[in-house]
Amino acid sequence: MIMCCFSCEKEEQFGINFYDCDEQSKSKNHPDNERFQELIEEIASSGVPGIMMTIRNSNGVWSGAAGKADLANNVDLLPCNITRVGSTVKTFTAVTIMLLHVEGKLDLDDQIIEYLPASYLEGLENADKATVRQLLQHSSGIYNYIVNLQFQTASLNDLTKTWKKEELLAYARGQKALFAPGTDVQYSNTNYILLGDIIEQVTGKKYYEVFAEKIFVPYELYATDCAAENPVPEGIVRGYVDFYSNLNVINSTYYSGWDYFTADGGLISNSADLNTFLNALFHGNILSQNSLKEMTNWVAPKNQDEEEYETFYGLGIFKINTVFGPAYIHSGDAIGYFASMVYFPERDVTISWAVNGNYGSIDEFASSKTAMDRIFQSVFED
Amino acid sequence: MRNVIVLVLLVYSTGLLAQTKLPIKFSLFNESTSIPFTGLINTPIHPGIQVGTEFEWKETNKIRLYPSVNVGYMFHNNLFQGIYANLELGFDYKFDFGLNIKSSLGIGYLHTFTTQQEFRFENGAYVAKADRGNARIMPSFSLGMGYRLKPSDSQSTEIFVMYQSWLEFPYSPGFIPLMSHNSFHIGSKFYPFK
Repeated sequence: MIMCCFSCEKEEQFGINFYDCDEQSKSKNHPDNERFQELIEEIASSGVPGIMMTIRNSNGVWSGAAGKADLANNVDLLPCNITRVGSTVKTFTAVTIMLLHVEGKLDLDDQIIEYLPASYLEGLENADKATVRQLLQHSSGIYNYIVNLQFQTASLNDLTKTWKKEELLAYARGQKALFAPGTDVQYSNTNYILLGDIIEQVTGKKYYEVFAEKIFVPYELYATDCAAENPVPEGIVRGYVDFYSNLNVINSTYYSGWDYFTADGGLISNSADLNTFLNALFHGNILSQNSLKEMTNWVAPKNQDEEEYETFYGLGIFKINTVFGPAYIHSGDAIGYFASMVYFPERDVTISWAVNGNYGSIDEFASSKTAMDRIFQSVFED
Repeated sequence: MRNVIVLVLLVYSTGLLAQTKLPIKFSLFNESTSIPFTGLINTPIHPGIQVGTEFEWKETNKIRLYPSVNVGYMFHNNLFQGIYANLELGFDYKFDFGLNIKSSLGIGYLHTFTTQQEFRFENGAYVAKADRGNARIMPSFSLGMGYRLKPSDSQSTEIFVMYQSWLEFPYSPGFIPLMSHNSFHIGSKFYPFK
């Protein structure tokens, strides 16, 4: 009886227009429409609540969606809906830094201590020596606060907590560096918190205002914004998490992403905008060829994960070697959401997708190497 | 039917306690997902309640070794609620003035439920379903202290605090193998039938 009283947390009910968005896609006329739609229907029917995907190939741009935006209200997902795309923001952070570099506001090889107060960096081992470039490339060796078990259990303990930047950095302070700066590469969210700080320091504006000014607005990414401005904007698709790896999911839309207020996560967008952004980036429309060359100066980690793609680190972007050739990629998770954007330079094909479910058994269908292989195979099978 | 069974068990166990003059242990606690011994009381408060009893086994002037059984309920907002039953082996070191230092090792069964609507994947789609819950084992280790209000009376009412560190296993197979929890109990042991 007690359990019944406590467990009566009801799902929100929304009006029929809550998830409406401006769907202008001409995807039904795309020659690959049937094949691509079949792919995402298959993914949704394997255990993903909803998936949106955008593919840009020689036949044009295709966008589609399958599954649900909201399970409780039985609302179909649309390709124009907005969703959380997590750490894909790191590519936006890196591009913004590159733009500020071109404007002469910073130098990639400056030590970060030239931009951020020593007192602020205190306790972050390597932060006194690392350069801006090393933050971008994850070669600073600075400890990743997210892997701290104390942080992980604390975030589960208070799933709706608004995490402040200082609280996140506290989990990295006093931790041993991963390696000496510039001697290896290893993913660390802490690097991108500090890059957000540098953006704010050299522009005098919030990092997300600079993103909007330099990227979202000029490249017409109308569905893209940072959660820091509005953590749960109206119309965002519901997120679902499979905590116990049994494809029994619960709504995680209001769970706080610990990185909603820092430049290492918290991006809200959709597959179409991610595709537009990545395509513009690698077609030289945002950065010069020189800057792109710097971003794609790949470094291999000393230890590759044998079960994953062979991976190389660039500045805010990764290169993976697939059977369809090299691909430039960044993916991102939030609790209940996953997204990935991939550009195949040899084929000039950009693929982006976002799902509103993750962790546990869902990852196998949406974000694992197996899932990516399946997507790439379907896209390139002709 | 379930309520009738609970009532019968309650009446039966109360009768059993009365016959054997066993104590009743009652505590309120705050549960958290956290690394052991990194903080006494973590926020937000996730409330729990535990009721149990202790059995006599071995006792000297200074030392007491005893098994105990407990049942409890906890509510972790946004994550889970759980009911459990556990068996503990307790060790007390007693001081003459009524204080005792406590420790215990335990093993228990925990059944967890979500705190919101669950959607289950069936036949290629997610559907809203009643939560059947998840079966767990919960090994535990506790440290604490108690104080007997009448130090010379072995059946005196005692108040105690216990820091219980326990694991939830399995947690998320293939993803997170186990979860570390800690519960801080404040409670009392008393002998209602002496």
